[in-house]
Amino acid sequence: MSVLELRNVYRGYGAQDVLADVSLKVERGEVIGLLGRNGAGKTTLIRLVMGMLGPERGQVTVFDADPRQDPLATKRRIGYVAEDQELPPFLKVRDVVAMYRQLYAGWDAEFATNLATRFELPPDRKVKDLSRGQARQVALLCAVSHRPELLVLDEPAGGLDPAARREFLETSIQLLNDTGTTILFSSHYMGDVERMASRLIMIHERQKWIDSDVDAIREGYCLAVLPADGSCDNDRLLSIPTCLCARRRGDALHAVFELDPAACTRELEERGIEPGSQCRTINLEEMFIELAGRES
Amino acid sequence: MHFYVDPNSGVPIFRQLMDQVKLQIASGTLRPGDELPSIRSLSIPLGVNPMTISKAYNLLVHDQVLERRPGRPLVVAELDESDLDTRRIERLQEILRPAVELVRQLDLDAEVAVVLLRDMLAGNETGFGSDRIEED
Repeated sequence: MSVLELRNVYRGYGAQDVLADVSLKVERGEVIGLLGRNGAGKTTLIRLVMGMLGPERGQVTVFDADPRQDPLATKRRIGYVAEDQELPPFLKVRDVVAMYRQLYAGWDAEFATNLATRFELPPDRKVKDLSRGQARQVALLCAVSHRPELLVLDEPAGGLDPAARREFLETSIQLLNDTGTTILFSSHYMGDVERMASRLIMIHERQKWIDSDVDAIREGYCLAVLPADGSCDNDRLLSIPTCLCARRRGDALHAVFELDPAACTRELEERGIEPGSQCRTINLEEMFIELAGRES
Repeated sequence: MHFYVDPNSGVPIFRQLMDQVKLQIASGTLRPGDELPSIRSLSIPLGVNPMTISKAYNLLVHDQVLERRPGRPLVVAELDESDLDTRRIERLQEILRPAVELVRQLDLDAEVAVVLLRDMLAGNETGFGSDRIEED
């Protein structure tokens, strides 16, 4: 049984297409890092999973059911922190936690207390007087203390300082250790994605562009840098089936290949594109910039 | 025993961990019979998905570097002196492989690379040039 599945999903706002023909399937225990530029459709995808939006075409299933059919039953099994999570501003931290505790049958009070202690949350402070980081920690505590089977985090690290980000990360890892929770999270912090994610999905131009095991990215992709001296051009590189993207960067051509560096060097040599080219492994941040950035 | 990960390096995290275990065995920091930290105890301070650590450990067991004992922590496998020498050489090979790749990409003469390595081992990195090779 898959935890969630999208089948040929289309969703837009008015005339604007945001996601077009997106399919994906997430199995139990996977940790999916969702990448894409601002406005690429990450939040839309997450809202579809949460049943807050419906697809215009295609099908979304969570725990083998339409999340909009029985939203309460589905949400009991999910923990969710939205990008712009709103908590009741005039409630004290302890009252917010008590409210969530009422909502969920499987609330683990001991875990909630441990987290509150670890995050050093002031129980008697009102939400409106919390720092942004503290407010997100309260939201996270409320999202995970019922031990959800699926944890959905939209930009969990947004606006957090590095120490608070690390706390967030460690809490998610603790959940993975304890219960093997499936996690879907969007982030712009590539280091966090490399640490946490087992699989990476990148949304670009309304489509799923990359869907790969994280380790396979580092071992199966590379960046080739060629002199832009007229001996080769973008079109020629893009005509190679394993070339994902090619563009000019200053006075060089950068191309990402779905090959390891040695195989890429051979491929270029075989096609007579050799002089001065370098192929090397690529980390996620570089990959993201190469794939989603513009010509410069 | 100390582990660290650099998520920005091009090397997958599971491989970084495998390399660190092998290096610590080759250097004698980890000895046969030494226990490895549990996946859980390592995953939180390292800030790494436990599956990644599990993958590194499983591959090390497969390579007979670590030994699994039912219900007990993983330990460093027994090995004799010649095994240790082999491992040391294997470690060096792994480190040198990308350098060899670079020598090819830069189209450098193999002899230049060999002389450079010899000089660096002798603690002399400066004054390298093609004229030096002729002197040798």
